[in-house]
Amino acid sequence: MPEIDIHAEGVECIKTQCYFCHANCGVLAYVKDGDVIKIEGDPNYSNQGGLCCRGTSALLHVNHPGRINHALKRAGEKGEGKWEQIDYDQAIQEVADKLNQIKAEYGAETIASCGGTTRTDDWARRRFLNQFGTPNGFHNALLCWIPTFMAETCVAGWSPFETDLGGAKCLILWGMNPGASTLPGMHGYWDLMNAGMKCIVVDPRYSETASKADLWLPLRPGSDAALALSMLHVLIYEGMVDWDFAGEYVDGLDELTDHVADYSPEWASEITWLEPDLIRQAARMYGQNTPGCIQWGCTWDQLGRSSTTASHAIALMRALTGNLDVPGGDGMPGPALNFMTDEELELNHLMPEEMKAKQIGSDKFKLTSWPGYTKISTINKRTWGKTLPAEWFCEAHGPSVFKAILTGDPYQIHALIVNASNPINSYGDSKMTLAAIKAVEFLVCVDYWMTPIALFADYVFPAAGALERPTIITHYGATDSVMGGRRAIQPKYDRHTDMYFWRALGLACGQDPENWKWETEEEVYTEIIAGLNLPFSTWDEFVDNMRMYYPPLHQKKFEHNGGFWTPSGKIECNSSILRELGYAGMPTYIGCSENEIDHPELAEEYPLTLTTGGSLMPYHHSEHFNMPYTRYIWPDPYFMINEEKAEELGIEHGDWCWIETRRGRIKMRAHVDQEVHPKVIFTPRGWWYPERDGSADLDNPFGCLESNVNVLTSVDEEHCDPMGGSWANRGLLCKVYKMTEGDSEYTVQDTAFSIPGSDPRKGKTKEEFLHRLPSEAPLAREKVPFEAPQPEIEVPEGYEWQWQNNTLYHKATNYRLDESGWLINPITKGYHDATYAWRYDATLQCLVDDATGKKYNMDYTPKVFERPETIPANLAWNEDEGFAYHEATGYKYDANSGWLIAPNGAYHDANFAYRYDAATGHLIDDATGKAYDFEYNEITA
Amino acid sequence: MRHHYWELPIYVYLFLGGLGGGIMFLSMIFSLFMFPGVTAVVETLWLPMLVAVGCLGLGCFFLVFELGQPFAFLGVFLKSTSIICWGARFLTVAMISAILWLVCYIPLDMLAGLAEAIRPSATLWMVLAGCCGFAIMVYTGVMLSTLKAHSFWATPALPALFTVSALSTACAGIMLAAGIHPNGGLMQNLLAAEAIKEIVHMADIVLVIAELTILLVMILSFLGAGNKTQNKVAHRWVHGSYAPAFWGGMICCGLVIPEILNIFGSGVATHIVAPVLVLCGGLLLRALCIFSDDRAEIPGENIYFNRLKKKGEAEFLTRWDYAGENEY
Amino acid sequence: MARMCMVIDKRRCIGCHSCTVACRTWNQLPIDIVYNPVLSEGTQGKFPNVHRTWTPMLCQHCAKPACVPACPTGASKQDADGTVWIEYKKCMACKVCVNACPYGMRDQSKFEPRLHQFIRKCTFCRDRREYEGDYAKSTYCVDTCHQKARVFGDLDDPNSEVHKLVNRVKTTRIFENLNTEPQIYYIDDMGGAL
Repeated sequence: MPEIDIHAEGVECIKTQCYFCHANCGVLAYVKDGDVIKIEGDPNYSNQGGLCCRGTSALLHVNHPGRINHALKRAGEKGEGKWEQIDYDQAIQEVADKLNQIKAEYGAETIASCGGTTRTDDWARRRFLNQFGTPNGFHNALLCWIPTFMAETCVAGWSPFETDLGGAKCLILWGMNPGASTLPGMHGYWDLMNAGMKCIVVDPRYSETASKADLWLPLRPGSDAALALSMLHVLIYEGMVDWDFAGEYVDGLDELTDHVADYSPEWASEITWLEPDLIRQAARMYGQNTPGCIQWGCTWDQLGRSSTTASHAIALMRALTGNLDVPGGDGMPGPALNFMTDEELELNHLMPEEMKAKQIGSDKFKLTSWPGYTKISTINKRTWGKTLPAEWFCEAHGPSVFKAILTGDPYQIHALIVNASNPINSYGDSKMTLAAIKAVEFLVCVDYWMTPIALFADYVFPAAGALERPTIITHYGATDSVMGGRRAIQPKYDRHTDMYFWRALGLACGQDPENWKWETEEEVYTEIIAGLNLPFSTWDEFVDNMRMYYPPLHQKKFEHNGGFWTPSGKIECNSSILRELGYAGMPTYIGCSENEIDHPELAEEYPLTLTTGGSLMPYHHSEHFNMPYTRYIWPDPYFMINEEKAEELGIEHGDWCWIETRRGRIKMRAHVDQEVHPKVIFTPRGWWYPERDGSADLDNPFGCLESNVNVLTSVDEEHCDPMGGSWANRGLLCKVYKMTEGDSEYTVQDTAFSIPGSDPRKGKTKEEFLHRLPSEAPLAREKVPFEAPQPEIEVPEGYEWQWQNNTLYHKATNYRLDESGWLINPITKGYHDATYAWRYDATLQCLVDDATGKKYNMDYTPKVFERPETIPANLAWNEDEGFAYHEATGYKYDANSGWLIAPNGAYHDANFAYRYDAATGHLIDDATGKAYDFEYNEITA
Repeated sequence: MRHHYWELPIYVYLFLGGLGGGIMFLSMIFSLFMFPGVTAVVETLWLPMLVAVGCLGLGCFFLVFELGQPFAFLGVFLKSTSIICWGARFLTVAMISAILWLVCYIPLDMLAGLAEAIRPSATLWMVLAGCCGFAIMVYTGVMLSTLKAHSFWATPALPALFTVSALSTACAGIMLAAGIHPNGGLMQNLLAAEAIKEIVHMADIVLVIAELTILLVMILSFLGAGNKTQNKVAHRWVHGSYAPAFWGGMICCGLVIPEILNIFGSGVATHIVAPVLVLCGGLLLRALCIFSDDRAEIPGENIYFNRLKKKGEAEFLTRWDYAGENEY
Repeated sequence: MARMCMVIDKRRCIGCHSCTVACRTWNQLPIDIVYNPVLSEGTQGKFPNVHRTWTPMLCQHCAKPACVPACPTGASKQDADGTVWIEYKKCMACKVCVNACPYGMRDQSKFEPRLHQFIRKCTFCRDRREYEGDYAKSTYCVDTCHQKARVFGDLDDPNSEVHKLVNRVKTTRIFENLNTEPQIYYIDDMGGAL
């Protein structure tokens, strides 16, 4: 390659960020004439100059010939692949008109929006949806952290997801493989392991990370809940609870102790296939090496019906060992108090209550939709002062929306906007999702590529990708740090960022331009960080000079906060929020969606255990299959199978095989070695074949079902987690057999699915529950009735009584009514009056209405400040605010120094407002440029 | 092992090189040492020499045809240390000398004057062609045996085998081509041809025995005592995927049957069938040897490279052309 | 004298293929050319008592290379600092060097136009090392490695990290018996989990 001279005239080095996974490594982009000529890893960012396969391919992504570069309007039949390139704005207007028409005809809730990962402008989407009035936005949120976050928040008041590894003695990587997913992290883990930190890896596969760990727990896929409960049992019964901490901050430990009595390692052994001693060893390693961390992994959220049970038990493990928010433990950042959170950008107050109730799935999976979010959000506002974004943490149940498209149950969905997602490959039950995508009346897609979704869309919009957009990282708006990168180049062709799309669509739909006042991400991001009071006036300046803002490390916040951020102020072993929602307050074991203990007959036909969602390095979710230079390294879908089992089944390394569950079968090649248990099959996720002609086979466009493991996963109501709603990806029962000559072509019969009357497999009877309408289908657990106690005290107007801590809260502000009779602001811990919630200003000794800036006396009369006699006569007096100022310039008078101070901090004299020039010691009249001495004599020469 | 780097053009070239070089060498022996100054012998060997030149020319064509940047070929004459360079030089000298020798005795009236003029130097050209021919014959095997990465090649037996095979195929070539000449009908020419054919017939009987011996010793010792790589290859030859070609093609058809025909047969069997089988056996030998280019495996290498797609095996390799038009 | 070499710490390598792809993009290689594959035999042992390691391979830049003397046109060369490279315009792609290399680290693309094919191999990022600007005088695979499993430098410089590692830590080389004196030094992994 001819060397590119990065110092040539006109070459600018821009600090930007990789956009191909969530690690968002720092990238230096060398830009010349609006084109990136070269990239490399930023050595001064957390990736230390490192970039993975995906990151180093960024230029091949920007210039990929398969990218969508213009707005496309469907010209032929759906899926025919005939497109008309039209003007972007025209396309937006046409889509807006159609959406408005559907809204007028059927209601706003019949328009849904599907997302994928956080790598888009989520707040803008929610801002659009809230103004539009539909509660049916959703992501793959339920498979990724959100149910865990909510469960952890129920236990301790926020998700403890910021590990303080530098001080940790033990780390559990549970269902997480940073060796293939977050490479910058893996580097740190290894260094710390070398420095003596113990590392436990929980993974059914001998992963890249497991190969470096101190202890590896190869559990049966999907049995995480049993393992967590038994580890909790060992921690409690072997006395590894932090008793001092528990005595002061934990509520209900005795109850929990009784509750987990039966969850012994011996009990768990049969479920997890782990020796009881190995479980004890792991629990002891974690419990005796405190402080320690449990790194968040996706597995808990992908188990299906036992998901939240597992994450709940794990949340209790960290809490009881005293690892919460301590140095070396799991940090609880809380919402950002000093800059704007995503939630503050979402305009959630515009969503009417009756629409919230229409959110699909919110009647079933309450923890992660409006019912649970409202409760948790209220507690957050009362304890932290701010809350989680509704995007991600409060969404419709994706698979239920697809089912609604097909069944009209609970109501018909008429339009779907898919943004940054390929739900056929990334959501469960792909065949059903594909059918829904085909069936939906109006489909809009915003993407980089012609995905199987885009193929069926009425309009496809081009999306700006890495290097074409600025990046901000606040971890879904759930942390108090902010990092980011600049836009390296303006989006090429007619590509636009997702925020641009939502804003344009919002305006075209007739939304208030005041609510869309920012035109670019940079403007928004500048506003987001404005509260930090950093000396930067733009986002780009912040990136150039600082790039990463971390608040001063503030651990043990619960000590000066006077407790945790739960309703009771303590770690709640028996969560009151969960009980209020009709769930058990303590984690109660339930088997994963399919397993040989609960379903022995099924296990006879399907003797193997399937785990899905493995990450093979060049790929991320369902992405990058169309990047030929990385695809070359891993061209085919390989599943892992143990040598012993492969031999038994007559399968050799590289053989194409069928993997079958009772929902269908897919083709993959066998990778035969000792990586997994002989009864386990491990598959990568989301495979499709973008190189094919999508329109050639509309039953399997782009091969999106053929090798896609989500054909095998289940979204049946009974298989979903009754709290969080996550569907079953792990521990499913399957069988594997070698492909034979006459049985090697994928046909539509290979994928049965869960919607009544649509099973194309003839001659095979399906289980009864697959044929129910979603609303008739039972959930995995019965609701636990709960009645909140009645107020023990009189509740004044405008107040709400919180039964858990017997305290009144001011409804409008969520401030706590203190014993003193004052309201306490949770952010500042300052006092506010109990009637209007005006702030008490101790310096001025008055009440301040921060909304208007007006000041009041204690009897709520407007405060009038009397003019002190010491003020020079030529100055005017503001009696509402209590300060003197120079009328002509507006400069404020500083009574202590006797000078006027301009907004830029410069001193000016009190008589004529001449500027004091420190260099010469003169007063300067900036209007005329003349200089004066302190006697106002003009100084010449 | 990613794939075979040398394929058909190379083994054909090695075969033709050995054949052509061998014919030139034997022609020199016959014309200068065994029957010096006998015109009938020269005329008998004229067509075999033409065939030899043709073989070398065709071999060179295959060699150059196979190159990625053929014009860089000239570089081989500028460097001196590589064994291939010496091969190239011997080839050039052998071909030029042989062509000049052929011109000396060219049976065309229109060139009679030219032939007459340079005929005094004919001996020189024959010596050069014969010596270079010998070098070429030896070099094909030596070249492979210097590639120590391939332990099947890097053995003294291989050059010996290739040389013996080259001589044996040369005998077969002479057997087929000797005596065909405008003057072939003359009595002295018929006698010369008969004599030479009898000699190459006898020689081939010995050479085929020698080749059989070297080949079996080499393969069976690899099978019994070679290192891992040699062992693997030997297994492939003896009872693996090459076994039909080795036992059926090379040993049986290429060596044993011609040997039997040579010893017990007569007429067409010895004069046409046996030599053709020997030639086929020689070509098969070069092909099997070239395909036995196994290296000692670096752990994991085969898993890795077998996973990758070769040209034409997968659509994604060529689906997106970065230099081409954008689709959407 | 300088002697450029690389030390690869197999204890750190996790087989992420970053180096492989980084190299392909930096050097703008044809799609079927891989200079530095990361090899692994997969998980060995008997489940659950298993181990796994990765071996990042690349041209070994042998002190006594087999490929350079085999080259008939002088296209394959060795610099004074020991690095081996190919002058593409002199290469006629006869593939003798490919067959001479015991490590299989030379290759010819099948995707390039006829008459413009030559042999390629790792050059230890010759362009980066020769470049006058301020890239770290290091190879791209080293810079891009998240795990910092690769160290590049001058073995003759006693202050270099590679000098310290090669002399202080037990390292191994591939096929030392072939007497090519390869210059990629591996720090071996002990293998699996506890």
